Amino acid sequence: MTAPTVIVVAGPSGSGKTTWITQTLKEHAETCFYLYPGLGEMPVDLARIGYCYPWVQVLPESQIPLLQVLPKEVVVFLEIGFHLDLQLPVLSALSYHRVAVLPPGCPQSEWHEWADEIIPGNAIAAPDPANLPQLWCTALTGQVFDPPSLDEVLIEITEGAYGNVHRLKGIFELPDGRAFYIDFVQGLEGIEYRELPIPRWLEGRPDRPSGIEVVGWQLDQTAIAQALLDGYLSAAAIDHYQQQYKTLNLEEEPAIR
Amino acid sequence: MKLAVISCIHGNLEALDAVLSDIDRQQVEQIYCLGDLVGYGPYPNEVVEKIRSLDIPICQGCWDEDIVEGLNACECSYPSQLSEKRGRLAHEWTNQVIHPEVRDYLAQLPMTLKQQNLSFVHGSPNSQHEYLLPSMDGFAALERVLSAGADVLFCGHTHVPYVRELENAVLTVTVQQPGQADAQQQFTAPLKRIVNAGSVGEPRHGRPNATYVLYDADTTQVALREVPYDYQKTCAAIVDRGLPAIFAWRLAQGMEFAERADDPSHVCQR
Repeated sequence: MTAPTVIVVAGPSGSGKTTWITQTLKEHAETCFYLYPGLGEMPVDLARIGYCYPWVQVLPESQIPLLQVLPKEVVVFLEIGFHLDLQLPVLSALSYHRVAVLPPGCPQSEWHEWADEIIPGNAIAAPDPANLPQLWCTALTGQVFDPPSLDEVLIEITEGAYGNVHRLKGIFELPDGRAFYIDFVQGLEGIEYRELPIPRWLEGRPDRPSGIEVVGWQLDQTAIAQALLDGYLSAAAIDHYQQQYKTLNLEEEPAIR
Repeated sequence: MKLAVISCIHGNLEALDAVLSDIDRQQVEQIYCLGDLVGYGPYPNEVVEKIRSLDIPICQGCWDEDIVEGLNACECSYPSQLSEKRGRLAHEWTNQVIHPEVRDYLAQLPMTLKQQNLSFVHGSPNSQHEYLLPSMDGFAALERVLSAGADVLFCGHTHVPYVRELENAVLTVTVQQPGQADAQQQFTAPLKRIVNAGSVGEPRHGRPNATYVLYDADTTQVALREVPYDYQKTCAAIVDRGLPAIFAWRLAQGMEFAERADDPSHVCQR
Protein backbone atom coordinates (compact mmCIF):
# COMPACT_ATOMS: atom_id res chain seq x y z
CA MET A 1 0.00 0.00 0.00
CA THR A 2 1.28 3.43 -0.90
CA ALA A 3 1.33 6.24 1.64
CA PRO A 4 2.47 9.71 0.63
CA THR A 5 3.66 12.20 3.19
CA VAL A 6 0.59 14.27 3.99
CA ILE A 7 0.87 17.54 5.89
CA VAL A 8 -2.46 19.03 6.92
CA VAL A 9 -2.38 22.71 7.83
CA ALA A 10 -5.15 24.45 9.75
CA GLY A 11 -5.70 27.66 11.68
CA PRO A 12 -7.83 30.78 11.82
CA SER A 13 -8.38 33.03 8.84
CA GLY A 14 -5.38 35.27 8.19
CA SER A 15 -3.02 33.40 10.51
CA GLY A 16 -0.58 32.62 7.69
CA LYS A 17 -1.34 29.03 6.71
CA THR A 18 -0.68 29.46 3.01
CA THR A 19 2.41 31.54 3.70
CA TRP A 20 3.83 28.75 5.84
CA ILE A 21 3.03 26.21 3.15
CA THR A 22 4.73 28.24 0.43
CA GLN A 23 7.83 28.60 2.59
CA THR A 24 7.86 24.88 3.35
CA LEU A 25 7.25 23.86 -0.25
CA LYS A 26 10.68 25.19 -1.18
CA GLU A 27 12.35 22.77 1.24
CA HIS A 28 10.99 19.72 -0.56
CA ALA A 29 12.73 18.22 -3.57
CA GLU A 30 9.96 15.66 -3.98
CA THR A 31 6.92 16.19 -6.14
CA CYS A 32 4.51 18.32 -4.14
CA PHE A 33 0.75 18.46 -4.27
CA TYR A 34 -1.46 21.17 -2.82
CA LEU A 35 -5.15 20.92 -1.98
CA TYR A 36 -7.62 23.35 -0.46
CA PRO A 37 -11.02 21.67 -0.08
CA GLY A 38 -14.30 23.36 0.70
CA LEU A 39 -14.05 26.47 -1.48
CA GLY A 40 -15.13 25.20 -4.87
CA GLU A 41 -13.13 24.08 -7.86
CA MET A 42 -10.44 26.73 -7.86
CA PRO A 43 -10.06 28.74 -4.67
CA VAL A 44 -7.76 31.77 -4.71
CA ASP A 45 -4.90 30.06 -2.89
CA LEU A 46 -4.99 27.04 -5.16
CA ALA A 47 -4.80 29.26 -8.22
CA ARG A 48 -2.06 31.41 -6.71
CA ILE A 49 0.12 28.44 -5.82
CA GLY A 50 -0.41 27.06 -9.29
CA TYR A 51 0.73 30.39 -10.79
CA CYS A 52 3.64 31.08 -8.44
CA TYR A 53 5.00 27.56 -7.94
CA PRO A 54 4.50 25.78 -11.24
CA TRP A 55 6.34 22.67 -10.04
CA VAL A 56 3.58 22.10 -7.49
CA GLN A 57 0.61 20.04 -8.62
CA VAL A 58 -2.57 21.74 -7.48
CA LEU A 59 -5.58 19.48 -7.12
CA PRO A 60 -9.00 21.04 -7.55
CA GLU A 61 -11.88 19.90 -5.38
CA SER A 62 -13.13 17.28 -7.82
CA GLN A 63 -9.75 15.52 -7.79
CA ILE A 64 -9.34 15.29 -4.04
CA PRO A 65 -10.18 11.53 -4.06
CA LEU A 66 -6.86 11.08 -5.90
CA LEU A 67 -5.28 11.69 -2.53
CA GLN A 68 -5.99 8.06 -1.70
CA VAL A 69 -3.89 6.72 -4.57
CA LEU A 70 -0.89 9.03 -4.71
CA PRO A 71 2.51 7.32 -4.57
CA LYS A 72 4.56 7.41 -1.40
CA GLU A 73 7.30 9.53 -3.00
CA VAL A 74 5.21 12.67 -3.04
CA VAL A 75 4.47 15.28 -0.41
CA VAL A 76 0.93 16.55 -0.06
CA PHE A 77 -0.02 19.81 1.58
CA LEU A 78 -3.69 20.05 2.44
CA GLU A 79 -5.00 23.30 3.84
CA ILE A 80 -8.12 23.37 5.97
CA GLY A 81 -9.94 26.68 6.08
CA PHE A 82 -11.31 27.99 9.36
CA HIS A 83 -14.81 27.19 8.16
CA LEU A 84 -14.24 23.42 7.86
CA ASP A 85 -14.31 20.64 10.45
CA LEU A 86 -10.80 19.52 11.28
CA GLN A 87 -11.82 15.87 10.85
CA LEU A 88 -12.18 15.81 7.06
CA PRO A 89 -13.69 12.53 5.76
CA VAL A 90 -11.14 12.43 2.95
CA LEU A 91 -8.39 12.12 5.54
CA SER A 92 -9.98 9.35 7.56
CA ALA A 93 -7.99 6.52 5.95
CA LEU A 94 -4.70 8.40 5.88
CA SER A 95 -1.90 8.98 8.28
CA TYR A 96 -0.85 12.62 8.30
CA HIS A 97 1.05 15.31 10.16
CA ARG A 98 -1.11 18.04 11.70
CA VAL A 99 0.22 21.61 11.66
CA ALA A 100 -1.70 24.48 13.22
CA VAL A 101 -0.64 28.03 12.31
CA LEU A 102 -1.89 30.21 15.13
CA PRO A 103 -1.54 33.85 16.11
CA PRO A 104 0.74 34.46 19.09
CA GLY A 105 -1.26 34.44 22.30
CA CYS A 106 -4.09 32.42 20.80
CA PRO A 107 -5.97 30.90 23.76
CA GLN A 108 -6.43 27.14 24.05
CA SER A 109 -8.53 25.99 21.12
CA GLU A 110 -9.53 22.98 19.07
CA TRP A 111 -6.50 23.66 16.88
CA HIS A 112 -4.21 23.19 19.91
CA GLU A 113 -5.85 19.86 20.73
CA TRP A 114 -5.73 18.70 17.13
CA ALA A 115 -2.20 19.70 16.12
CA ASP A 116 1.04 17.70 16.23
CA GLU A 117 2.96 20.93 15.67
CA ILE A 118 2.07 24.56 16.29
CA ILE A 119 3.62 27.29 14.16
CA PRO A 120 3.45 30.90 15.36
CA GLY A 121 1.65 32.88 12.67
CA ASN A 122 0.61 36.46 12.00
CA ALA A 123 0.03 38.74 14.99
CA ILE A 124 -3.70 39.11 14.47
CA ALA A 125 -6.53 39.05 17.00
CA ALA A 126 -7.33 35.58 18.28
CA PRO A 127 -10.60 34.25 16.88
CA ASP A 128 -13.70 34.07 19.05
CA PRO A 129 -15.12 30.54 18.68
CA ALA A 130 -18.54 31.86 19.66
CA ASN A 131 -18.53 34.44 16.88
CA LEU A 132 -16.84 32.96 13.86
CA PRO A 133 -16.93 35.09 10.71
CA GLN A 134 -18.77 34.38 7.46
CA LEU A 135 -16.99 33.47 4.26
CA TRP A 136 -18.08 34.80 0.89
CA CYS A 137 -16.30 33.86 -2.31
CA THR A 138 -16.90 33.97 -6.01
CA ALA A 139 -15.00 33.07 -9.14
CA LEU A 140 -14.01 35.99 -11.36
CA THR A 141 -12.57 34.00 -14.23
CA GLY A 142 -13.00 35.87 -17.50
CA GLN A 143 -13.59 39.22 -15.83
CA VAL A 144 -11.19 42.13 -16.35
CA PHE A 145 -11.34 45.12 -14.02
CA ASP A 146 -11.21 48.82 -14.59
CA PRO A 147 -8.16 49.48 -12.33
CA PRO A 148 -9.41 52.62 -10.51
CA SER A 149 -12.77 50.94 -9.92
CA LEU A 150 -11.02 47.91 -8.44
CA ASP A 151 -8.98 50.16 -6.16
CA GLU A 152 -12.11 51.90 -4.97
CA VAL A 153 -14.01 48.66 -4.33
CA LEU A 154 -11.10 47.17 -2.39
CA ILE A 155 -10.89 50.27 -0.21
CA GLU A 156 -14.60 50.13 0.44
CA ILE A 157 -14.60 46.42 1.28
CA THR A 158 -11.57 46.52 3.55
CA GLU A 159 -12.63 49.72 5.32
CA GLY A 160 -16.04 48.35 6.23
CA ALA A 161 -18.54 49.65 3.68
CA TYR A 162 -20.11 46.22 3.30
CA GLY A 163 -19.60 44.74 6.76
CA ASN A 164 -16.76 44.16 9.17
CA VAL A 165 -14.13 42.51 6.99
CA HIS A 166 -11.39 40.45 8.59
CA ARG A 167 -9.79 39.08 5.46
CA LEU A 168 -9.84 39.64 1.74
CA LYS A 169 -7.80 37.86 -0.87
CA GLY A 170 -8.23 37.63 -4.56
CA ILE A 171 -6.75 37.31 -7.99
CA PHE A 172 -7.76 40.09 -10.37
CA GLU A 173 -7.14 40.54 -14.07
CA LEU A 174 -6.28 44.00 -15.43
CA PRO A 175 -6.68 45.36 -18.96
CA ASP A 176 -2.94 45.45 -19.62
CA GLY A 177 -2.96 41.66 -19.39
CA ARG A 178 -1.41 41.38 -15.96
CA ALA A 179 -3.00 39.56 -13.04
CA PHE A 180 -2.51 40.58 -9.42
CA TYR A 181 -2.82 38.71 -6.15
CA ILE A 182 -4.28 41.04 -3.53
CA ASP A 183 -4.29 40.23 0.16
CA PHE A 184 -5.68 42.06 3.19
CA VAL A 185 -5.72 40.89 6.80
CA GLN A 186 -7.31 43.04 9.50
CA GLY A 187 -4.62 43.91 12.02
CA LEU A 188 -1.77 43.74 9.51
CA GLU A 189 -0.60 46.85 7.73
CA GLY A 190 -1.96 47.80 4.33
CA ILE A 191 -3.15 45.77 1.38
CA GLU A 192 -0.61 43.59 -0.42
CA TYR A 193 -0.60 43.85 -4.22
CA ARG A 194 1.60 41.30 -5.96
CA GLU A 195 1.86 40.83 -9.70
CA LEU A 196 1.60 37.16 -10.56
CA PRO A 197 4.44 35.64 -12.61
CA ILE A 198 2.30 34.67 -15.57
CA PRO A 199 2.20 35.91 -19.17
CA ARG A 200 0.12 38.95 -20.04
CA TRP A 201 -3.28 37.97 -21.40
CA LEU A 202 -4.00 40.22 -24.37
CA GLU A 203 -6.41 38.13 -26.42
CA GLY A 204 -9.96 38.53 -25.16
CA ARG A 205 -11.29 37.51 -21.78
CA PRO A 206 -8.65 35.64 -19.74
CA ASP A 207 -9.36 31.94 -19.63
CA ARG A 208 -7.46 31.29 -16.42
CA PRO A 209 -8.61 31.21 -12.78
CA SER A 210 -9.27 34.36 -10.81
CA GLY A 211 -11.58 35.03 -7.89
CA ILE A 212 -12.16 36.71 -4.55
CA GLU A 213 -12.71 35.52 -0.98
CA VAL A 214 -13.97 37.78 1.79
CA VAL A 215 -14.13 36.79 5.45
CA GLY A 216 -16.00 38.94 7.95
CA TRP A 217 -19.14 39.67 9.88
CA GLN A 218 -22.48 41.10 8.65
CA LEU A 219 -21.25 40.98 5.09
CA ASP A 220 -23.59 42.58 2.56
CA GLN A 221 -22.80 40.04 -0.11
CA THR A 222 -25.21 41.48 -2.67
CA ALA A 223 -23.67 44.93 -2.39
CA ILE A 224 -20.12 43.54 -2.68
CA ALA A 225 -21.11 41.60 -5.78
CA GLN A 226 -22.74 44.70 -7.30
CA ALA A 227 -19.70 46.88 -6.60
CA LEU A 228 -17.43 44.31 -8.25
CA LEU A 229 -19.82 44.01 -11.18
CA ASP A 230 -19.72 47.77 -11.69
CA GLY A 231 -15.94 47.52 -12.11
CA TYR A 232 -16.01 44.81 -14.80
CA LEU A 233 -14.94 46.00 -18.22
CA SER A 234 -17.12 45.22 -21.21
CA ALA A 235 -15.82 43.00 -24.01
CA ALA A 236 -15.49 46.08 -26.21
CA ALA A 237 -13.48 47.94 -23.56
CA ILE A 238 -11.22 44.92 -22.98
CA ASP A 239 -10.57 44.68 -26.71
CA HIS A 240 -9.88 48.42 -26.92
CA TYR A 241 -7.31 48.30 -24.13
CA GLN A 242 -5.69 45.11 -25.38
CA GLN A 243 -5.20 46.56 -28.84
CA GLN A 244 -3.51 49.59 -27.29
CA TYR A 245 -1.24 47.52 -25.07
CA LYS A 246 -0.27 45.28 -27.95
CA THR A 247 0.60 48.33 -30.00
CA LEU A 248 2.64 49.78 -27.19
CA ASN A 249 4.58 46.54 -27.04
CA LEU A 250 5.04 47.08 -23.32
CA GLU A 251 7.18 44.04 -22.79
CA GLU A 252 8.84 41.43 -24.93
CA GLU A 253 7.37 38.55 -22.97
CA PRO A 254 4.99 36.42 -25.05
CA ALA A 255 1.28 36.94 -24.54
CA ILE A 256 -1.03 33.94 -24.27
CA ARG A 257 -2.91 33.32 -27.50
CA MET B 1 -15.73 93.60 4.10
CA LYS B 2 -15.97 90.05 5.35
CA LEU B 3 -17.22 87.35 2.97
CA ALA B 4 -18.17 83.72 3.38
CA VAL B 5 -17.79 81.45 0.37
CA ILE B 6 -19.59 78.12 0.29
CA SER B 7 -19.65 75.45 -2.39
CA CYS B 8 -20.72 71.93 -3.32
CA ILE B 9 -23.71 71.45 -1.03
CA HIS B 10 -25.03 68.46 -2.98
CA GLY B 11 -28.46 68.21 -1.44
CA ASN B 12 -27.12 67.97 2.11
CA LEU B 13 -29.50 70.23 4.05
CA GLU B 14 -28.14 69.30 7.50
CA ALA B 15 -24.65 70.38 6.48
CA LEU B 16 -25.93 73.61 4.89
CA ASP B 17 -27.87 74.57 8.02
CA ALA B 18 -24.81 73.93 10.19
CA VAL B 19 -22.61 76.07 7.94
CA LEU B 20 -25.15 78.90 7.80
CA SER B 21 -25.32 78.86 11.61
CA ASP B 22 -21.54 79.03 11.79
CA ILE B 23 -21.50 81.90 9.30
CA ASP B 24 -24.05 83.75 11.46
CA ARG B 25 -21.50 83.78 14.27
CA GLN B 26 -18.69 85.23 12.12
CA GLN B 27 -20.12 88.73 11.41
CA VAL B 28 -20.13 88.10 7.70
CA GLU B 29 -21.51 90.78 5.40
CA GLN B 30 -21.99 88.72 2.26
CA ILE B 31 -22.21 85.03 1.39
CA TYR B 32 -21.29 83.72 -2.06
CA CYS B 33 -22.11 80.23 -3.28
CA LEU B 34 -20.09 78.43 -5.95
CA GLY B 35 -22.78 76.00 -7.04
CA ASP B 36 -23.44 72.28 -7.02
CA LEU B 37 -26.55 72.62 -4.93
CA VAL B 38 -27.86 69.25 -6.10
CA GLY B 39 -26.63 65.73 -6.82
CA TYR B 40 -25.85 62.72 -4.56
CA GLY B 41 -27.62 64.14 -1.50
CA PRO B 42 -31.22 63.56 -0.41
CA TYR B 43 -32.57 67.14 -0.29
CA PRO B 44 -31.89 68.90 -3.62
CA ASN B 45 -35.14 70.93 -3.68
CA GLU B 46 -34.84 71.99 -0.07
CA VAL B 47 -31.24 73.14 -0.48
CA VAL B 48 -32.11 75.24 -3.54
CA GLU B 49 -35.09 76.77 -1.73
CA LYS B 50 -32.91 77.66 1.24
CA ILE B 51 -30.26 79.36 -0.91
CA ARG B 52 -32.93 81.22 -2.87
CA SER B 53 -34.73 82.35 0.27
CA LEU B 54 -31.52 83.88 1.59
CA ASP B 55 -30.86 85.62 -1.74
CA ILE B 56 -27.30 84.34 -1.83
CA PRO B 57 -25.42 85.15 -5.07
CA ILE B 58 -24.55 81.87 -6.73
CA CYS B 59 -22.81 80.62 -9.83
CA GLN B 60 -23.72 77.41 -11.60
CA GLY B 61 -22.00 74.17 -10.66
CA CYS B 62 -21.45 71.14 -12.87
CA TRP B 63 -24.24 69.18 -11.21
CA ASP B 64 -26.59 72.13 -11.54
CA GLU B 65 -25.76 72.27 -15.24
CA ASP B 66 -26.14 68.52 -15.69
CA ILE B 67 -29.60 68.53 -14.17
CA VAL B 68 -30.57 71.17 -16.72
CA GLU B 69 -28.63 70.07 -19.78
CA GLY B 70 -28.26 66.33 -19.17
CA LEU B 71 -25.06 64.39 -18.64
CA ASN B 72 -22.43 65.26 -21.20
CA ALA B 73 -19.29 65.67 -19.16
CA CYS B 74 -15.86 64.79 -20.44
CA GLU B 75 -13.84 62.05 -18.80
CA CYS B 76 -12.59 64.29 -15.99
CA SER B 77 -15.93 64.06 -14.25
CA TYR B 78 -15.50 60.39 -13.46
CA PRO B 79 -12.13 58.83 -12.81
CA SER B 80 -13.47 55.28 -12.78
CA GLN B 81 -16.20 53.19 -14.29
CA LEU B 82 -17.58 52.55 -10.82
CA SER B 83 -17.87 56.24 -9.97
CA GLU B 84 -19.45 56.93 -13.34
CA LYS B 85 -22.16 54.34 -12.72
CA ARG B 86 -22.81 55.77 -9.28
CA GLY B 87 -22.84 59.29 -10.65
CA ARG B 88 -25.46 58.25 -13.18
CA LEU B 89 -27.59 56.74 -10.42
CA ALA B 90 -27.37 59.98 -8.47
CA HIS B 91 -28.18 62.01 -11.57
CA GLU B 92 -31.21 59.87 -12.45
CA TRP B 93 -32.54 60.04 -8.89
CA THR B 94 -32.10 63.81 -8.72
CA ASN B 95 -33.59 64.24 -12.16
CA GLN B 96 -36.75 62.43 -11.00
CA VAL B 97 -37.29 64.34 -7.76
CA ILE B 98 -36.28 67.85 -8.80
CA HIS B 99 -39.15 70.36 -9.02
CA PRO B 100 -39.65 72.19 -12.34
CA GLU B 101 -39.17 75.61 -10.75
CA VAL B 102 -35.93 74.44 -9.14
CA ARG B 103 -34.65 73.25 -12.50
CA ASP B 104 -35.60 76.61 -14.01
CA TYR B 105 -33.73 78.41 -11.26
CA LEU B 106 -30.60 76.30 -11.81
CA ALA B 107 -30.81 76.93 -15.56
CA GLN B 108 -30.47 80.69 -15.24
CA LEU B 109 -27.47 80.73 -12.88
CA PRO B 110 -24.37 82.54 -14.20
CA MET B 111 -21.08 80.71 -14.67
CA THR B 112 -19.07 83.45 -12.99
CA LEU B 113 -19.61 86.09 -10.34
CA LYS B 114 -17.37 89.12 -9.89
CA GLN B 115 -16.88 91.60 -7.12
CA GLN B 116 -14.08 94.09 -7.72
CA ASN B 117 -10.84 92.07 -7.79
CA LEU B 118 -12.55 88.85 -6.70
CA SER B 119 -13.93 86.24 -9.06
CA PHE B 120 -16.16 83.32 -8.13
CA VAL B 121 -16.50 80.16 -10.23
CA HIS B 122 -17.45 76.56 -9.58
CA GLY B 123 -14.65 74.67 -11.32
CA SER B 124 -12.56 77.12 -13.30
CA PRO B 125 -13.20 80.20 -15.46
CA ASN B 126 -13.18 77.80 -18.44
CA SER B 127 -15.78 75.33 -17.27
CA GLN B 128 -17.82 74.19 -14.29
CA HIS B 129 -16.33 70.76 -14.92
CA GLU B 130 -12.65 71.66 -14.82
CA TYR B 131 -10.71 70.91 -11.65
CA LEU B 132 -8.24 73.44 -10.31
CA LEU B 133 -6.29 70.98 -8.19
CA PRO B 134 -3.66 72.35 -5.81
CA SER B 135 -0.98 70.42 -7.70
CA MET B 136 -1.95 71.92 -11.06
CA ASP B 137 0.94 73.32 -13.08
CA GLY B 138 1.72 76.85 -11.88
CA PHE B 139 1.58 78.42 -15.32
CA ALA B 140 -1.84 76.91 -16.04
CA ALA B 141 -3.11 77.96 -12.62
CA LEU B 142 -1.92 81.52 -13.18
CA GLU B 143 -3.53 81.57 -16.62
CA ARG B 144 -6.88 80.63 -15.05
CA VAL B 145 -6.69 83.48 -12.53
CA LEU B 146 -5.57 86.01 -15.15
CA SER B 147 -8.33 84.93 -17.53
CA ALA B 148 -10.85 85.69 -14.79
CA GLY B 149 -9.43 89.21 -14.46
CA ALA B 150 -9.10 88.72 -10.73
CA ASP B 151 -6.54 88.88 -7.96
CA VAL B 152 -8.36 86.21 -6.01
CA LEU B 153 -10.16 83.37 -7.74
CA PHE B 154 -12.60 81.45 -5.55
CA CYS B 155 -13.47 77.95 -6.74
CA GLY B 156 -14.87 74.67 -5.48
CA HIS B 157 -15.48 71.38 -7.31
CA THR B 158 -12.49 69.46 -5.86
CA HIS B 159 -14.20 69.10 -2.45
CA VAL B 160 -10.88 69.65 -0.69
CA PRO B 161 -10.29 73.22 0.53
CA TYR B 162 -6.99 74.93 -0.09
CA VAL B 163 -5.32 78.30 -0.60
CA ARG B 164 -2.71 78.62 -3.31
CA GLU B 165 -0.58 81.72 -3.68
CA LEU B 166 0.94 82.41 -7.07
CA GLU B 167 3.73 84.86 -6.35
CA ASN B 168 6.88 85.98 -8.11
CA ALA B 169 5.46 84.63 -11.35
CA VAL B 170 7.79 85.57 -14.20
CA LEU B 171 6.70 84.88 -17.76
CA THR B 172 9.38 84.91 -20.44
CA VAL B 173 8.31 85.48 -24.03
CA THR B 174 10.55 85.13 -27.08
CA VAL B 175 9.59 87.52 -29.87
CA GLN B 176 10.65 86.47 -33.37
CA GLN B 177 10.48 88.96 -36.24
CA PRO B 178 11.79 88.58 -39.81
CA GLY B 179 15.21 90.07 -40.21
CA GLN B 180 15.67 90.69 -36.53
CA ALA B 181 17.33 88.78 -33.75
CA ASP B 182 15.04 87.02 -31.31
CA ALA B 183 14.13 89.25 -28.40
CA GLN B 184 13.14 88.03 -25.00
CA GLN B 185 10.68 89.93 -22.86
CA GLN B 186 9.79 89.22 -19.28
CA PHE B 187 6.57 89.98 -17.45
CA THR B 188 6.08 89.73 -13.74
CA ALA B 189 2.58 88.95 -12.52
CA PRO B 190 1.51 90.43 -9.20
CA LEU B 191 0.47 88.12 -6.39
CA LYS B 192 -2.57 86.07 -7.32
CA ARG B 193 -4.48 83.60 -5.23
CA ILE B 194 -6.72 80.62 -5.76
CA VAL B 195 -8.99 79.87 -2.82
CA ASN B 196 -10.89 76.62 -2.86
CA ALA B 197 -13.89 76.56 -0.54
CA GLY B 198 -14.04 72.78 -0.21
CA SER B 199 -17.48 71.26 0.13
CA VAL B 200 -20.37 71.87 2.48
CA GLY B 201 -22.23 68.65 1.80
CA GLU B 202 -19.87 66.14 0.26
CA PRO B 203 -16.42 66.44 1.83
CA ARG B 204 -13.40 64.64 0.56
CA HIS B 205 -10.89 65.44 3.24
CA GLY B 206 -11.25 62.28 5.32
CA ARG B 207 -13.80 63.59 7.81
CA PRO B 208 -17.54 64.13 7.37
CA ASN B 209 -17.39 67.78 8.49
CA ALA B 210 -18.53 70.56 6.18
CA THR B 211 -15.98 73.10 4.97
CA TYR B 212 -16.19 76.67 3.68
CA VAL B 213 -13.99 79.78 3.70
CA LEU B 214 -14.07 83.25 5.19
CA TYR B 215 -12.35 86.08 3.33
CA ASP B 216 -11.63 89.53 4.67
CA ALA B 217 -11.41 91.84 1.66
CA ASP B 218 -9.73 94.56 3.75
CA THR B 219 -6.90 92.45 5.15
CA THR B 220 -6.98 89.75 2.37
CA GLN B 221 -6.93 87.17 5.15
CA VAL B 222 -8.41 83.77 4.34
CA ALA B 223 -9.72 81.35 6.97
CA LEU B 224 -10.72 77.78 6.13
CA ARG B 225 -13.61 76.68 8.35
CA GLU B 226 -14.51 73.09 9.18
CA VAL B 227 -17.94 72.62 10.71
CA PRO B 228 -19.11 69.42 12.42
CA TYR B 229 -22.79 68.55 12.03
CA ASP B 230 -25.09 65.57 12.52
CA TYR B 231 -24.07 63.79 9.34
CA GLN B 232 -25.82 60.64 10.48
CA LYS B 233 -29.14 62.38 9.80
CA THR B 234 -28.08 62.91 6.20
CA CYS B 235 -26.86 59.31 5.98
CA ALA B 236 -30.24 58.06 7.21
CA ALA B 237 -32.05 60.29 4.73
CA ILE B 238 -29.88 58.99 1.87
CA VAL B 239 -31.02 55.45 2.60
CA ASP B 240 -34.62 56.40 3.42
CA ARG B 241 -35.07 58.30 0.18
CA GLY B 242 -33.79 55.45 -1.96
CA LEU B 243 -30.28 56.56 -2.83
CA PRO B 244 -27.53 53.90 -2.74
CA ALA B 245 -26.41 53.05 0.81
CA ILE B 246 -22.78 53.33 -0.26
CA PHE B 247 -23.31 57.12 -0.57
CA ALA B 248 -24.11 57.24 3.15
CA TRP B 249 -21.05 55.20 4.05
CA ARG B 250 -18.76 57.39 1.95
CA LEU B 251 -20.24 60.59 3.41
CA ALA B 252 -19.58 59.27 6.92
CA GLN B 253 -15.95 58.59 5.97
CA GLY B 254 -15.40 62.00 4.38
CA MET B 255 -14.65 60.17 1.14
CA GLU B 256 -17.11 61.95 -1.15
CA PHE B 257 -20.03 59.99 -2.49
CA ALA B 258 -18.52 58.61 -5.63
CA GLU B 259 -16.48 61.16 -7.47
CA ARG B 260 -12.90 62.27 -7.20
CA ALA B 261 -10.29 63.94 -9.36
CA ASP B 262 -6.71 62.83 -9.42
CA ASP B 263 -5.15 64.15 -12.59
CA PRO B 264 -3.93 67.72 -12.14
CA SER B 265 -2.71 67.93 -15.73
CA HIS B 266 -6.05 67.11 -17.29
CA VAL B 267 -7.64 69.97 -19.20
CA CYS B 268 -11.39 69.62 -19.32
CA GLN B 269 -12.66 69.18 -22.89
CA ARG B 270 -16.30 69.80 -22.19
